[in-house]
Amino acid sequence: MISSLRALWNNLFRRKKLDRELDEELQAYLELVSAEKMRQGVSPEDAYRDARRDTGGVEQVKESVRDVRAGVWLDSLARDLRYGVRTLAKNPAFTLVAMATLALGIGANTAMFSLLDQVVLRLLPIRDPERVVIVRETGNHYGNTYGANTISWPMFEDLRDNNQTFSGMFCRFPATVAIGYADRAAQISAELVSGSYFPVLGVGAALGRTIAPDDDAVPDSRRVVVLSYSFWRTYFDGDRSIVGRTINLNSYAMTVIGVAQPGFDGVELGVPAKVFVPIMMKTEMTPRSDGLKDRPRRLSWVTAYGRLKPGVSVQQAEASLQPILHSILEMEALQPEFTGNTTASDRQLFLRNRVELLPGSENELRDDMRKPLWLLLALTGAVLLLACANLANLLLARDTARERQLAVRLAIRAGRARIVCQLLTETLLLSTGGAVVGLALAFLTDLILLRIYLPADAAAEFVVSPIPDVRVLAFVVGAMLLTALVFGLLPALRGSRTEITLSLKDRSGAASAGGISLRRILVGIQVALSLLLLVGAGLFVRTLRNLENLGPGFPTDRLLTFTIDPSLSGYSDGETKSFFERLNVNLQTMPGVASVGFSTMPLLKGYAWQNAILGKDFEGAPIEGQPVLCEVGPDYFATLGIPIVAGRAITAQDDGPVEYKSAVVNETFARKYFPGRNPIGQRFGLVNEMKPVSPDIEVVGVIPDKKYRDLRETPPAQAFFPYFQGAKFRFMNVYLRTQADPRQFENELRERMRQFDSHVPVVGLRTMNEQIGFSLRTERLVASLSAVFGGLATLLAVIGLYGVTAYTVMRRTREIGIRLALGALRSNVIGMVMREVFLLIGAGLVVGFSLALALANLIRSQLFGLNPRDPLTFVGSAIVLALAAGLAGLIPALHASYVDPTTALRNE
Amino acid sequence: MPVPQTDLLQGTLDLLILKALALQELHGMGVSRRIAQITGGAFDVKAGSLFPALHRMEQAGWLTSSWGESETNRRAKFYALTKTGKKQLHNESERWERISLAMATALRTA
Repeated sequence: MISSLRALWNNLFRRKKLDRELDEELQAYLELVSAEKMRQGVSPEDAYRDARRDTGGVEQVKESVRDVRAGVWLDSLARDLRYGVRTLAKNPAFTLVAMATLALGIGANTAMFSLLDQVVLRLLPIRDPERVVIVRETGNHYGNTYGANTISWPMFEDLRDNNQTFSGMFCRFPATVAIGYADRAAQISAELVSGSYFPVLGVGAALGRTIAPDDDAVPDSRRVVVLSYSFWRTYFDGDRSIVGRTINLNSYAMTVIGVAQPGFDGVELGVPAKVFVPIMMKTEMTPRSDGLKDRPRRLSWVTAYGRLKPGVSVQQAEASLQPILHSILEMEALQPEFTGNTTASDRQLFLRNRVELLPGSENELRDDMRKPLWLLLALTGAVLLLACANLANLLLARDTARERQLAVRLAIRAGRARIVCQLLTETLLLSTGGAVVGLALAFLTDLILLRIYLPADAAAEFVVSPIPDVRVLAFVVGAMLLTALVFGLLPALRGSRTEITLSLKDRSGAASAGGISLRRILVGIQVALSLLLLVGAGLFVRTLRNLENLGPGFPTDRLLTFTIDPSLSGYSDGETKSFFERLNVNLQTMPGVASVGFSTMPLLKGYAWQNAILGKDFEGAPIEGQPVLCEVGPDYFATLGIPIVAGRAITAQDDGPVEYKSAVVNETFARKYFPGRNPIGQRFGLVNEMKPVSPDIEVVGVIPDKKYRDLRETPPAQAFFPYFQGAKFRFMNVYLRTQADPRQFENELRERMRQFDSHVPVVGLRTMNEQIGFSLRTERLVASLSAVFGGLATLLAVIGLYGVTAYTVMRRTREIGIRLALGALRSNVIGMVMREVFLLIGAGLVVGFSLALALANLIRSQLFGLNPRDPLTFVGSAIVLALAAGLAGLIPALHASYVDPTTALRNE
Repeated sequence: MPVPQTDLLQGTLDLLILKALALQELHGMGVSRRIAQITGGAFDVKAGSLFPALHRMEQAGWLTSSWGESETNRRAKFYALTKTGKKQLHNESERWERISLAMATALRTA
């Protein structure tokens, strides 16, 4: 064992010495043999010659000795590598094009996969993440809901205490809190967590301890906080003495008890939590909204998680939870807060609700991004395929050109296996180079994508790193090896089959007719794939244009917006109300500001307040869906430029404590709930999670339908209430209609707000158009990337077509020369070449068209305002591609027509 | 009668080399001549087979080599058996005897 290791070492690193010794050994042998022959009476000259002859060629002996040396394969690999590098260096244009092609393909794929992996695929950074599930209730909950996948606090307690399925359950609620420490104030994202959160997740503390069940037993009792590792590093500079000290959260003094383990930022991936607080501190962390101590069952707000017991499958767990949920629902259906606001048929529907378990890593961001990112990955996959086809084409062309050289090597008895090995080594070199460059490209692309895709303030929050991790690297290496193997092996095998005599005899012979047809098929595939990508790009770009042109339905050019929440700075209800009143007056006097509007729910941010409504006119008939609701200030509609089509707007007179009395509704609301009647004067009520209500809100005005949550939606039924009639005052979205470009007022506004009240930070100050742009970021991402990929694909196809045509022309130079000599016109030659080009393009287009028609429906949900088989896009893409590819074919065709017959015939 | 080298059974050459080196260390040609001698001239091992085998066996740790002086006063590489080589010779000899006995019995049976 040791001796063979030593031999390997010597063979690899002391080859020169070994070879010298071998020379000497054989020399000695020859001398000994000739000495022997001389002793037998042979003359000295003959003796040495005979000895050499008997030995059978000294060089051959040396070669066979080298062949038995350990690690001989490494040796030949090194030789192949050296040879490969030399060959590639000798042909820089080929190497550059091939590597660039691969780098683009691999880079685009890596960038997309890296995004997909981090946004959609990655599991929670915890122990056995696949065993942790979200426990949600399907169906209508008949109450108020904070976001998807939430249940009420009492429901969580019931499930936690009665199930046999989970080894542990916990729940959490995301909140924005104001942090104060050492004279610094900021708003950060917090996670309110039950005491079982850290133990069930299996997340430990890097410093101090995590929140224990004891910390979360009694409401308002334990003022403790755990910091996330990254927040501790950035905000507290990794100060180890922070444990035991006090920080202010929403102006409550909280003791830092520990720092969570590195890499753990809460269970909502993409929205990292900075601090963790016991959920029993809910009242303090979310002022004027409780849901915990008063235990409302018609208010779902916590996301519940469970860790499956060993051996329990998701299906088993779901099945065993159904009866528990059903008994809870039966109990809830008898409660006055439920019966007071529902009908018998509502009750029937309600009792059909079921438990559903989702992967623990699921969240809304993932849900939104899943389809677009998979789609983009599919597009980049097609680009990689195209790139590979191009590379295969290049290799085929190159190997065909080297046929003669290969034939020579075959003739001197180089093994076919060795030749395949050597060609593969070259391809591997190429693809490694491509992968390395591609990785760098991917890093840059992700950096740029993240910057474009996310506004500056969100980019800091959204922790998607452009640095690829092990899985991405594995993906790259896999892609690289696959490309090298498949697309290197094909030409390599062909190369090794080279017919010796044919290649050596005549270069213009028909030796590679098979190669030409393979190359043609590759180009045909490229044209087809390019058409597919171009059509996709066209559809997505037109979708974006449609959405941008349509807009929300009101003028957005001179609008500024920001959010503000005095309640997080410790302001009471009364103080908050007066804060808003004073702010309204203050901003109206700001120079350059035409009008100021307030609303509690933001426009075009993708979410809204929804609540079931009731009224005597539609009692008994359950109304599908809940209307979108909002509280607004007096000049809200005027500020946004939304006209009142009937009745009046909300005015400062719509004041009054704690109950909504009047409402402005949109046309859809009027049509849906008061069909065929004058909506003005009609009454309805809001279903309340705590008590039965009566319909005493009067409709005072009607506005036209405008988009509210996002630009894609068909405007839902909407109702607006005067915010001064509301019961609680918290955050507010402020809209300013300016008299000039709104951006020039941003700094002035910030300064004005600081002077107005320096304790209350302005959050998310931007123009309405920026807000709209942000709401279209997914569409923009998909449109711009698919356009880039479409262009790239077309470029690759054009290069491929040019290559194959130019090659055909080169091979046929002699034939063309003869034709010209016999009197063919230049136009005949051009026609002859172009006929083939158009045949190729035509075939590619037909295949591409059928593919695109078949696949178009898959992206229907991603489109807006056009048919997935939009004829304009299809025909337009085909024309663009045909023109580009036709031009690529025309260049070699023209080249062919200028062939000089005499030269052509003499050369070959 | 010399046996053509291609007819050498797999492993036979190794065994012959081990045997040739059993008594003393030899250089390449010495090994070749010693094999011819102990096989009564039946095997004439050529350099093309001999040297690869010697190098392979040295890497396997059966042989060790050193530079010494040949009978023509020339520097030559001498091979000798290692401990492993001796064990290998012993084992291989036994195996070979079993095989040849079996073969002989088989061929004698009518």
